[in-house]
Amino acid sequence: MTLAMVRGNVVATKRADNVEGAKWLLVEECTQSGDGKGEYLVGLDMVGAGPGQLVLLTQGSSCRWTRRTDERPMDTLVVAIVDAIHGAERALYRAE
Amino acid sequence: MTLARVKGTVVSTHKPSSMEGMRFLLLEKIDPVTLVGKGDYVVGIDSVGANAGEVVFYVTGSSARMTDVTKGKPADAAVIAVVDTIEKDGNLTYQKSEAAG
Repeated sequence: MTLAMVRGNVVATKRADNVEGAKWLLVEECTQSGDGKGEYLVGLDMVGAGPGQLVLLTQGSSCRWTRRTDERPMDTLVVAIVDAIHGAERALYRAE
Repeated sequence: MTLARVKGTVVSTHKPSSMEGMRFLLLEKIDPVTLVGKGDYVVGIDSVGANAGEVVFYVTGSSARMTDVTKGKPADAAVIAVVDTIEKDGNLTYQKSEAAG
């Protein structure tokens, strides 16, 4: 899994994914401190994440291992909201 | 899923019979904030009816075989949605124009 920051959302009505109630998040890949890398993805929201939250992304075929996405054409899921990241010496990130 | 703009179509008459009838779209990856193309192109199979000029998102890898169009076919990039709007930090960065269909 990789770390990303939720920056906004993407709306699409003309779709072929067969995922019911899909909400698409615009996420920016980021460092363990929450700094954006300038690379963006669209992820299917599985946890009710919102703008400004650091989240975990699952990518690739593993995305199909949920009930909602089984056999669906999904390659990026937002699977968790990060509360905090602890380094060996200090806290690297803490949700506000 | 990756955001891209449809730049055109790719035509191929010489391809596996299992891929006949498929529509290949020439896609350029875009920055979703500035909407500027990154100069990075891929060819994706159309499963949604996307047209040139539209912003779409696509899936890659084995997930690309999971659309009705690509099931069981040798596909590794499939366009699965035509984007209406992109919103970042509370501002719309993209809104599909009515004229574009």
